[in-house]
Amino acid sequence: MNITFHKVMPTPLASIEHGSKSIWGSQIELKTGERILLNASSGKGKSTFTFTSIGLRKDYSGQITYDGKDVKTFTPDDWTLFRQTKISVVFQDLQLFPNLSVKDNLLLKNGLQNVYSEEELLQKLETLGIADKWNQKCGLLSMGQQQRVAIIRSLCQPFDWLILDEPFSHLDKNNAEIALKLIHERCEELQAGFVLTSLGEDYGYNYTRELNL
Amino acid sequence: MLNRILFKNQDKKQLIIAMIGAFMGITFLVTSIHYLIKVNEFGKGADILGPNTIIVQKKVTNSSSLNLSKTDFTPREIEKIKAESFIQDVKPVISNNFDVSFQTDDPLVPYFRSDVFIQTVDQNFLDVKSAKWKWEKGDSFVPMILPRDFLVMLNTFMSASGIPQISDDLAMDIKFKFRLRDPNNSDKEEHVNARIIGFTNEVASILVPESFMQYGNQIYASTTESKITQIMISGKESEFGLVEDLLNKRGLESKNSQMVVGRLKSVVGTLFLVVLGISVIAVFVSGLVLIQYLQLLLSRNAYEVRTLLRMGYPPNDLIKSFSFYFIKIFGLVAAIGLGIFFVFKLFLDKMFESGGLYIGNNIAWLAIVALVLAYLLFALASYLNARKGIFNEY
Repeated sequence: MNITFHKVMPTPLASIEHGSKSIWGSQIELKTGERILLNASSGKGKSTFTFTSIGLRKDYSGQITYDGKDVKTFTPDDWTLFRQTKISVVFQDLQLFPNLSVKDNLLLKNGLQNVYSEEELLQKLETLGIADKWNQKCGLLSMGQQQRVAIIRSLCQPFDWLILDEPFSHLDKNNAEIALKLIHERCEELQAGFVLTSLGEDYGYNYTRELNL
Repeated sequence: MLNRILFKNQDKKQLIIAMIGAFMGITFLVTSIHYLIKVNEFGKGADILGPNTIIVQKKVTNSSSLNLSKTDFTPREIEKIKAESFIQDVKPVISNNFDVSFQTDDPLVPYFRSDVFIQTVDQNFLDVKSAKWKWEKGDSFVPMILPRDFLVMLNTFMSASGIPQISDDLAMDIKFKFRLRDPNNSDKEEHVNARIIGFTNEVASILVPESFMQYGNQIYASTTESKITQIMISGKESEFGLVEDLLNKRGLESKNSQMVVGRLKSVVGTLFLVVLGISVIAVFVSGLVLIQYLQLLLSRNAYEVRTLLRMGYPPNDLIKSFSFYFIKIFGLVAAIGLGIFFVFKLFLDKMFESGGLYIGNNIAWLAIVALVLAYLLFALASYLNARKGIFNEY
């Protein structure tokens, strides 16, 4: 699935001057399978990019299309299908359920498409070094641990695109690289692409291309 | 797991208060509708007169005995009564202006004869649905409805003659005969076969079809102009008290049992109507409180709803979760309310019975229909509110 930004300008960012390489106001196509680093300083609209890409914000001019179809024309049922099978997200604020355990947070998402068994989920937590938190409430975990749970949760579905909004902001370099390796393997498995927003750090990954805001 | 997330943030105090309100409202709603119907049904079937119908005549006073005041009704008086807002209809009771005697005509029953008084009332006032209630010249018999007191008298006669007494059904098989005669010409007479088709406690004379009375009055009546001494009044539902006031005001009287039942039905009916009104308000208000609680729950769980939608949970699944939760709550309340109604019914039926108002044990299904209707309305309101709340977070 190709995602195209046709001269998109979010209303709150219209008054800010954007560079010639910025996505905002330009014609940009995100092609299936691309691994993209989206670099931008604070306040340039990284989270706005995430929200507009997945139809959570509609306050923009221009047009965003999925395989040529304007996302503003999608019905709630269309979005439900896309969010279950085409596009997955790690939000900057993670959007976990703090009163549910790590296990329940993961099963809640995994249950929509039944992608992994509990053992496989535990294996992923093991890879990211938090398998011992399986039954612990998410609200009691550190931000770094919560980020790892949110990353694994985002992998618990089929997708064409994975949007990661500063997913490693609370992780050390080593853990970030392990997490990125896990993301890479999943994207390879699905022949999917990802967009990783960052404040400048590239985490040593070989991206297809780098975009700016 | 969805329910664990969506119904975690609750202040159950408000929910319990709304449930108690709904429970009380539903219990009284079903109870009041049931008894409103049963009380109005009371007496139907057993009576030949329609509901809220009485036969009245002017009170006989010393002055009327001395011919100083009249006991008959003028057309103007009838029209005045008819014009009252709480009166449905007024019709004269027509009596015979010729001599009638009534006798047995059956070899199995001893001979019995008596001069009688026959009357006819407008078909609209009668609750007799029998196809037999008609007569034409040449028919094999005249159908008649006898005052029950007449059967008692007949049985007394049977008993005195050493013959077994007869039941209602048996009495209907006995052959009788009317003898019609011109009071001014004893040679002008005719015998007509007659059969009993029913009994009444409400009318003191023998009732015959209107066509038979017209026939008799045309052929055998004396030349004296007939006077209307009794009229039938049909009052509107639950306004019997006003009919009673009118009778007192105009110096009219009715058979006491008719008045007592009418008054009782009117009072109990009004009482249950008031309870019904309060119950409807209670169900409505408690339904509103429950709906408000649903909205509160949705707003308290806005984060959870929003996150689930962003994860890819179908909005309809969440709408179902919220609306089903409240539909189940209302269902539980309705079931308990219905159960309590049956308990109430046990006591109330006994109370009515001991007060002389035997209203039967069967359920007035309209009360259950009202409960189902209230439930469906609430289910619809829950669904629409849940839908609105979920899509607000979309």
